[in-house]
Amino acid sequence: MPREIITLQVGQCGNQIGMEFWKQLCLEHGISKDGILEDFATQGGDRKDVFFYQADDQHYIPRALLMDLEPRVINGIQTGEYRNLYNHENIFTSREGGGAGNNWASGYHQGKSFEEDLMDMIDREADGSDSLEGFVLCHSIAGGTGSGMGSYLLETLNDRYSKKLVQTYSVFPNQNEISDVVVQPYNSLLTLKRLTLNADCVVVLDNTALNRIAVERLHIQNPSVSQTNSLVSTVMSASTTTLRYPGYMNNDMVGLLASLIPTPRCHFLMTGYTPLTVERQANMIRKTTVLDVMRRLLQTKNIMVSSHARTKEASQAKYISILNIIQGEVDPTQVHDSLQRIRERKLVNFIEWGPASIQVALSRKSPYVQTAHRVSGLMLASYTGIRHLFSKCLSQYSLLRKRQAFLDKYRGFPLFDDNDLSEFDESRDIIESLVDEYKACESPDYIKWGMEDPDHLLTGEGNASGTVDPRMAS
Amino acid sequence: MSSSTSDHRVGDLITELIHRLTPNPNPNTIKYATRILTSRMSPSITPDESSIALSIKSLLVKQGKLSDALSFADLYSKFSSKTGPGSVKNKWALLYLLKTISQDGGTVSDGLPVLFHPETSRKSSGNGEKDGSVGNVGNGGGGGGGGGVLLVAKDSENLRDLAYREYGVIVKEENNVTEEVLVRDVLYACQGIDGRYVLFDESVDGYILPDSIKVGKSVRLMVRKLCELGWLFRKVKGYVDESVERFCDEDVGTVGQAFCAALQDELGEYYKLLAVLQAQAMNVIPLVSEGGSGGNYLSLRRLMVWFAEPMVKMRLMAVLVDSCKSLKGGAMAGAIHMHAQHGDPLLHDFMKRLLRRVCSPLFEMVRSWVLEGELEDIFSEFFVLGQSVKAESLWREGYRLHSAMLPSFISPSLARRILRTGKSINFLRVCCEDRSWADAATEAAAATGTTTRRGGLGYGETDALESLVTEAARRIDKHLMDVVYNRYRFKEHCLAIKRYLLLGQGDFVQYLMDIVGPELSEPANTISSFKLAGLLESAIRSSNAQYDDPDILDRLRVKMMPHNTGDRGWDVFSLDYDARIPLNTVFTESIMAKYLKIFNFLWKLRRVEHALISAWKTMKPNLITSRFYSKLPKAVKFRLILTSRRCQVLWNEMNHFLTNLQSYIMFEVLEVSWANFSDEMEASKDLDDLLAAHDKYLHSIVEKSLLGERSQALYRTLFMLFDLILRFRSHADRLYEGIYEFQARTMEGEHGQSRSSKTKSSDSDSWLSESRKAIAQRADEFLRNTGQDIDAVSKEYSSLFKGFISQLPVQQHIDLKFLMFRLDFTEFYGSAT
Repeated sequence: MPREIITLQVGQCGNQIGMEFWKQLCLEHGISKDGILEDFATQGGDRKDVFFYQADDQHYIPRALLMDLEPRVINGIQTGEYRNLYNHENIFTSREGGGAGNNWASGYHQGKSFEEDLMDMIDREADGSDSLEGFVLCHSIAGGTGSGMGSYLLETLNDRYSKKLVQTYSVFPNQNEISDVVVQPYNSLLTLKRLTLNADCVVVLDNTALNRIAVERLHIQNPSVSQTNSLVSTVMSASTTTLRYPGYMNNDMVGLLASLIPTPRCHFLMTGYTPLTVERQANMIRKTTVLDVMRRLLQTKNIMVSSHARTKEASQAKYISILNIIQGEVDPTQVHDSLQRIRERKLVNFIEWGPASIQVALSRKSPYVQTAHRVSGLMLASYTGIRHLFSKCLSQYSLLRKRQAFLDKYRGFPLFDDNDLSEFDESRDIIESLVDEYKACESPDYIKWGMEDPDHLLTGEGNASGTVDPRMAS
Repeated sequence: MSSSTSDHRVGDLITELIHRLTPNPNPNTIKYATRILTSRMSPSITPDESSIALSIKSLLVKQGKLSDALSFADLYSKFSSKTGPGSVKNKWALLYLLKTISQDGGTVSDGLPVLFHPETSRKSSGNGEKDGSVGNVGNGGGGGGGGGVLLVAKDSENLRDLAYREYGVIVKEENNVTEEVLVRDVLYACQGIDGRYVLFDESVDGYILPDSIKVGKSVRLMVRKLCELGWLFRKVKGYVDESVERFCDEDVGTVGQAFCAALQDELGEYYKLLAVLQAQAMNVIPLVSEGGSGGNYLSLRRLMVWFAEPMVKMRLMAVLVDSCKSLKGGAMAGAIHMHAQHGDPLLHDFMKRLLRRVCSPLFEMVRSWVLEGELEDIFSEFFVLGQSVKAESLWREGYRLHSAMLPSFISPSLARRILRTGKSINFLRVCCEDRSWADAATEAAAATGTTTRRGGLGYGETDALESLVTEAARRIDKHLMDVVYNRYRFKEHCLAIKRYLLLGQGDFVQYLMDIVGPELSEPANTISSFKLAGLLESAIRSSNAQYDDPDILDRLRVKMMPHNTGDRGWDVFSLDYDARIPLNTVFTESIMAKYLKIFNFLWKLRRVEHALISAWKTMKPNLITSRFYSKLPKAVKFRLILTSRRCQVLWNEMNHFLTNLQSYIMFEVLEVSWANFSDEMEASKDLDDLLAAHDKYLHSIVEKSLLGERSQALYRTLFMLFDLILRFRSHADRLYEGIYEFQARTMEGEHGQSRSSKTKSSDSDSWLSESRKAIAQRADEFLRNTGQDIDAVSKEYSSLFKGFISQLPVQQHIDLKFLMFRLDFTEFYGSAT
């Protein structure tokens, strides 16, 4: 009963970061490109069965489903170095191979039409695990397949595996550059709705911030997709270390996420990572203390979500929860000192409506991967400041929607039949309420938020059949 | 060369002298003369050259050899004036010799006759009876008993003699026993035999001279004083005899035997003295008038002098006998040692000799114990006491110091080292089945230069003993530690215990909790531990524990504690680790009981955490769709949101508490204690150190986990909080189950409307028949009730928790500021309180 986690890689971006993720896991567990355990990988202590299963022939096979509507990226995987790693039954590409054309609605619709194929694959994989913990979805929210088909999968998973966890690694588009995908705001909004309603946890990977990090921190002038993807895979693998190297605490995904997400709706997590390097820079060993790591993790420059907030708003942002996963040789006694320093210097603003603290998980580092740093850290945090990212999405959507631009592309699909654009409106309402809830979390009165006069409202019970507010509470 | 020629010359001179003195000398005479001359005997008179010359002259005059006297004076003046090289230096001695020779073997000296003086004894035996002796004395009487300034020139009148004779008569009249008889009696008494007059009187416990016998007061006094020796002898002899009789009994022991033997030897010496004295006692005491200052006789006074030394020794022996009477072994040696510190060199030597013999069995025991681990102590005399125990308690209980048997010349710390060294050997032999320690022992012996054979050590060589013990201890301990660490993999087992009993192996613990959870909710008496063992097995197989050493996994087992009525499985379930010999010396039952206590606490903590996490799973983000919200009447919707948010906030508070408590346990308790223990483990030189380090490790975990005696109040609050959290879980579950139900009904209703034809016949008819309003009403009621329940839990939790953290700073015996710091990181609870 290894509490298996099934990874769904959907769309071009999803498959790219997924591939990087598996590459990293193979390295860390000493698994060769063909899925065979390397001779040197004898130092136990790691758990491979959470993410891999062992085929009869001693091959380690990722519990991964590769899905795309166009074959390019997946073909690349199938002809690449790692072609023998994956179970070929777990690969889905559309027969037409035409892709989703960066259209959420197309992706969603195609997802629906391939539901049987896709769900067969998922069911088969789920049946193959003893105690499935949940699913991890890798995708981008801006394109067509990852966003649209991903959204459809989220809804279906929610329906069929409601007791299982659904976590996503969602890549948010770079908002600093003009995207070639003009309908990106539409796609994002529609996907965000599903991420809000149908996912248990969303790890937000903001391409804006990833690019910035690549330029500023890694000194790469024009970071390539694979370079930013390697950042993503680092975050993904680091966030799963406590599952793969079991210790006293945080050994399952639900335990990990539960503490991070006390308010179910606010389940978007921000990540930070230090030290940031790309492979070729790993040439000198640096001494790093726990305090260094924990302090750097709180610095915006290491955080993989960009802040679109004005200073005043940003200063009101609060952390709902923080988990620092620290890898490497760490003296456990240093943790307390570091926490103390951080509190003394008031480096973190926490919510005021409940107790909160920085959780620290210590995890082993893979003995098979040589890194430049003795200690590295990943921060997973629930942070109210993330609402500005959603606000930005909303405002971009509003701009587009006001002009009624590009809506034709969507009208052709069943969800938007008869010019029914209520899906957009509903999505907007849900995101707005999400932003509001995050905002409410910044106030000490969160607990009473939305309850201005509940008693008065309750006296009017007779009017219960009145109009229905599509938004949740406010 | 020169010395040998001078020897020849001296020899020739002596031969010539003898030829002149005795008409037909035999070789024996020459030999005898040479011996006398080479001896260091010296007369007890003042060496005054001129006075001896005068004395010789007057002697010659007295004998009527005036011419001779004149020529002597002439020769003497020449002789004395001759100085310078080649001349005789010790002129006085020469003169004295000549004079003595001229007196032809009269009494040799004025002092006590030298014992075993062959001439004297020959003489006395030759003279035989008293008469001869009297004659001898009489002969000497003329000569005034030797020359020297001590002698007053004798007046030719017999006035003094007459007075003495009269005095003798008076003495004889006053005493109806003669002194000789008394002397003999005293000598008898001193051998523990009743004399004719001097008898042992039980009532006064001493030798007395009965009142019926008429003797002078001073004589009586003297007899009494002398007879003390007899009394002492009786005591010593009595002890020795008694002991010898009981040699086979355990009462005496080897040390006692050695002591007796030493005493007997001393007594042997004493017997020799007495034999000689007895021989002398045969000689008649001359009357004072007869000038009895010389002569080989014994008077009470002379005895007094003779007895001075034996008396002191005997007294000491008697004291020793007294103080050792009920003692044996080390205690005896110690008691004797107490008397060894004596200022008198004579007694000091005596004691040292005695102790060397007395202690030799003891030292032999130490040696064989330290080097061979053998406890050859049938009489239990050794200060290490062995008792037969089970192998697991061999180290802790098998041997102990018997402080009563610890002689004071062995310091307690040395004794402890001795104890531990032998114990280590036995531990190696019995528990570790190790044979190679013998090499270490041999090495140790070689290093100190002590041979491993018996009797290598003795009293007074405490330094040698100490260095032997130190060497042996160092090597044996190191060997033992090697065996414990390497062969029995102590650290690995400690880590295994940390992994399984202290829940360090998180994935294993999780599966175990998952699969035994349902079982443990049953009443304790219905649970089969066999089934639990099977579940443990599968938890191992499905977690990373499967890769652990099979030897370690084999030791892990389920333990059901005794249960009371009404106990659930949760209350009695434990994991146990069978450390086995020899490691169960460290992990004894009481130690394991502590581990189990910690396990139960951590297990409970895990269980509560598990419950809270599953509560989160029921309220997790994607379970409630907003579409459901939108279908609800506003008021119900608000109530729903309010109730569920309260539930979430309370959940957050509880989760915060649990995760931080867990973090505290992990970082500040388990890991820190382990880090300290690791360091101390490295530094441990012997098993005792290791045991102490381990005890400290465990103690620190117990105390810091609030399991100690002094934090019981806090611990109770903690458990109340745990129970409250479990209660909260059922409320939260109920709330969300209710919400899902309503959600399902609402949705179903919706679907039902659209697909009414399909569902009409189904069981959910009752649902469809219910109006939406009715559902809403029921929902509202349900939410209100559940909300109230949750509020009640929330209130109780707040007050309990406040109580808990307010108690934290008051715990002075442990540092709980870490826990406090974590729990109140954002000062949500107000650190000031």
